[in-house]
Amino acid sequence: MKHQKSEFLARHLGPRGREITKMFKAIGVRSIDELIDQTIPDSIRKKQQSQMDTGKTEFEVLEELREIAKKNIVLKSYLGQGYCNCITPSVIQRNIFENPGWYTQYTPYQPEISQGRLEALLNFQTMVADFTGLPVANASLLDEGTAAAEAMSMAYGIVNRSSRKTANKFFVSARCFRQTIDVVLTRAMPHSIEVVVGNPETVNFDDTFFGALVQYPGEDGAVINLRPFIEKVHHAGAVAVVATDLLALALLTPPGEFNADIVIGNSQRFGVPLGYGGPHAAFFATKNEYIRVMPGRIIGVSLDAQKNTAYRMALQTREQHIRREKATSNICTAQALLAIMAGMYAVYHGPEGIKEIASRIHSLTALLEIELKKRGFMQLSENYFDTLRIQAKDRKQAERILQLAFESGYNLRFIEDKYIGISLDETSTLQDIEKLLNVFTRIKGAPIKPGALDDSFRNFYDAIY
Amino acid sequence: MMRYIKSLENKDLSLTVSMIPLGSCTMKLTAATELLPLTWPEFAGMHPFVPVEQAAGYKKIIQELENALCKATDLAAASLQPNSGAQGEFTGLLVIRTYHHDHKQPQRVVTLIPSSAHGTNPASAVMAGMKVIVVNCDAKGNIDVDDLRAKATQYKETLAALMVTYPSTHGVFEELIKEICDIIHKNGGLVYMDGANLNAQVGLTSPGVIGADVCHINLHKTFAIPHGGGGPGMGPICVTKQLAPYLPGHPILKVGGEKAIYAVSSAPWGSANILLISYAYIRMLGIEGLTDATRIAILNANYLKSRLENNYPILYQGKNGRVGHEFILNMKQFKEQADIEVGDIAKRLMDYGFHAPTVSFPVHDTLMIEPTESEPKSELDRFIDAMIAIRKELQDIIDGKLDKIDNPLKNAPHTTITAMNDSWNHRYTREQAVFPVPSLKKNKFWPSVGRIDNTYGDRNIFCVCPPIEEYKEK
Repeated sequence: MKHQKSEFLARHLGPRGREITKMFKAIGVRSIDELIDQTIPDSIRKKQQSQMDTGKTEFEVLEELREIAKKNIVLKSYLGQGYCNCITPSVIQRNIFENPGWYTQYTPYQPEISQGRLEALLNFQTMVADFTGLPVANASLLDEGTAAAEAMSMAYGIVNRSSRKTANKFFVSARCFRQTIDVVLTRAMPHSIEVVVGNPETVNFDDTFFGALVQYPGEDGAVINLRPFIEKVHHAGAVAVVATDLLALALLTPPGEFNADIVIGNSQRFGVPLGYGGPHAAFFATKNEYIRVMPGRIIGVSLDAQKNTAYRMALQTREQHIRREKATSNICTAQALLAIMAGMYAVYHGPEGIKEIASRIHSLTALLEIELKKRGFMQLSENYFDTLRIQAKDRKQAERILQLAFESGYNLRFIEDKYIGISLDETSTLQDIEKLLNVFTRIKGAPIKPGALDDSFRNFYDAIY
Repeated sequence: MMRYIKSLENKDLSLTVSMIPLGSCTMKLTAATELLPLTWPEFAGMHPFVPVEQAAGYKKIIQELENALCKATDLAAASLQPNSGAQGEFTGLLVIRTYHHDHKQPQRVVTLIPSSAHGTNPASAVMAGMKVIVVNCDAKGNIDVDDLRAKATQYKETLAALMVTYPSTHGVFEELIKEICDIIHKNGGLVYMDGANLNAQVGLTSPGVIGADVCHINLHKTFAIPHGGGGPGMGPICVTKQLAPYLPGHPILKVGGEKAIYAVSSAPWGSANILLISYAYIRMLGIEGLTDATRIAILNANYLKSRLENNYPILYQGKNGRVGHEFILNMKQFKEQADIEVGDIAKRLMDYGFHAPTVSFPVHDTLMIEPTESEPKSELDRFIDAMIAIRKELQDIIDGKLDKIDNPLKNAPHTTITAMNDSWNHRYTREQAVFPVPSLKKNKFWPSVGRIDNTYGDRNIFCVCPPIEEYKEK
């Protein structure tokens, strides 16, 4: 067989053949080795070449990846915790996600030749501001955990810059995603910030705290009224941060209306594939008075030399942060492509379309709860959007249910002990609800017949939407 | 919807239009094959917290990529968790800090950073609880070894680390790098290498060979992940064996070392989906190919440098007159002679169909150019032609043939609206404005708006990292 190792290499490298000889001449060397010898000091040259496979052709690598792909078993994962299945509209997949015209540009430092993505990012910011009920949002951060850590740093700066005392405690609701708590701890430790994880309803929130983070809805799906806690936080002179889910906010009161100071979260379920954890765009919104201390890139509207509207990056507050002794952020990049996709998902569906999706998910969730209750399963969240917390008889039964769900093609979340989490999403259908119910009816209760839920679903949906 | 998306896309200059020669950004080819698998349902549809046995495909990608990165860096272990280069810096320094703590040396917090460093270096260091001490550079842009030795000795009880970019942000392979690493190690510190310029190393030298203990790798530079218009990126770190126990963990899935620091990202392997790109890139090039890519990156940079050095002064070069994979053109003289700022030159390049190189980093009034290995000679020549034509325009301003205020550089970029306006009243022709070289008549990218007003409403603080001087010892 023909030796093809250089087939792709020749495509990847620009100069070829006789061109290279001409380039040598222009530089004044006779060979590439001579140039490298003159460039890289001999003392640090690698003497031994590492052993790696030789290059494969494009076709071979795609074949190999297809085989590797088969080793992934993709079930319907109703695991929640900040990551949900969603439908990437085909027009977005083809024209943005898979389009080099959108994925090969650099950060828009030269705005005159970046107006397309600046407008798309402005769409994203506008969407985030609308859903969260806050006036300003940035053009995305790396992930939800990082956004929470940035919010903590920002809160620390706001509180401790304006007062003589130093408050060094940050409260984190135990109902925040576990990975978010972890990332917040990582950031807090080098600065002797004491992170207090607990229950917002019972914490003694005094002025030794500079801020608080709560999840809405909580990691177990529960939706609580945030107003009393945020009042408590403000009363202590601290900053209230709410981690949330944009889709839930299509139905719930936005945190901005509860007077939250900073609202963060993951925009993944707005049409961005799960991708085993990312990349996804985290969002970050705040009040007008804090815009100058908000981390990350902000796209702003300005004018060009002919006084036409033009977009540009504005208020790069990172500079101000870095200059301070207590530098709080090293944010240098964003998740532009994914923020653009999420923004376009909102454009594609429109506000009514998003509300419809949220209503459908919530109706299915409510239906599932009712039917499970009918069969004697306890659901522990009084209010919820898309996530139920089911109590099994004991751990053994919970494990049995998870196993049966797995056999039916679903991953449910084992929370702990005898508790199971189920988070529905945009891809969930009535058939999924029927199948899930029949997982539980293998334990107890009457099985459900296909189509039996159609009418009650319609009633729920009409009542919500 | 399709038309709206397309109308926006048409306003942006991407690699589908021309080279983007941004220094320190490595805008190389990201081949379609490398990106194809991302949307396959087996990769796209996977939740990060599924039981690991369901994700055996991803596991294989992750393991093989970790191995490949360790081989490329000659280091022992890797964490794919950090989601950006800056996040990698933060993670690497936390690992160093935790190592010192674990070795009963918690006072080791002093981090030496050369004045040529990228602004994220000191910011990340401060975030990781370090105290930043700036080390001077000499006139050639190299680390001042005497100053480094003096500071390392002065802080030998508290020295935690040196953060060093290699080749330097000035695009030069410093001769004394090994000695520099030795000085740090002898004084109880560890060496953090900023991997932003790794594209000049792969296969020829490595962080491990040079003496680094930790290195982050911008997969979106060296390993072909596209920049996405400002993200995603990935900044995994590789570390020596002694630091491996501290690599970041995760509360839901078991990753990292046995004495792992807390997670630095929400997901256990960061942005796992785009690891497929780097995986495919490495598989298709192989080690020989990766080394060739480095060689050609250096060839392209030196070709551009050789062709441009008679027109513009080169700020720094190695002792043999060579540059690494990037180099810096000094534009300061034009400010004095023609009242032309480096920003004007950057905007004028748009009229020639190019994205400007990096402006005023790491040195004010300069352009830093990195062509990467992927640009063919024809594209390099097109860029050279543009730069030489601009040099002639500059000369015309200096010689008084073009007006000092109303000239094509100050008014750049020129849009169709300005060019087609019935009342063209500039002191140069429309043709000179929009078709300064004939090839543009065949194919031209038009900027969609004119020069954006930076002071309008003064809401426009630009995104550049602050000068490193801010950190100098008071």
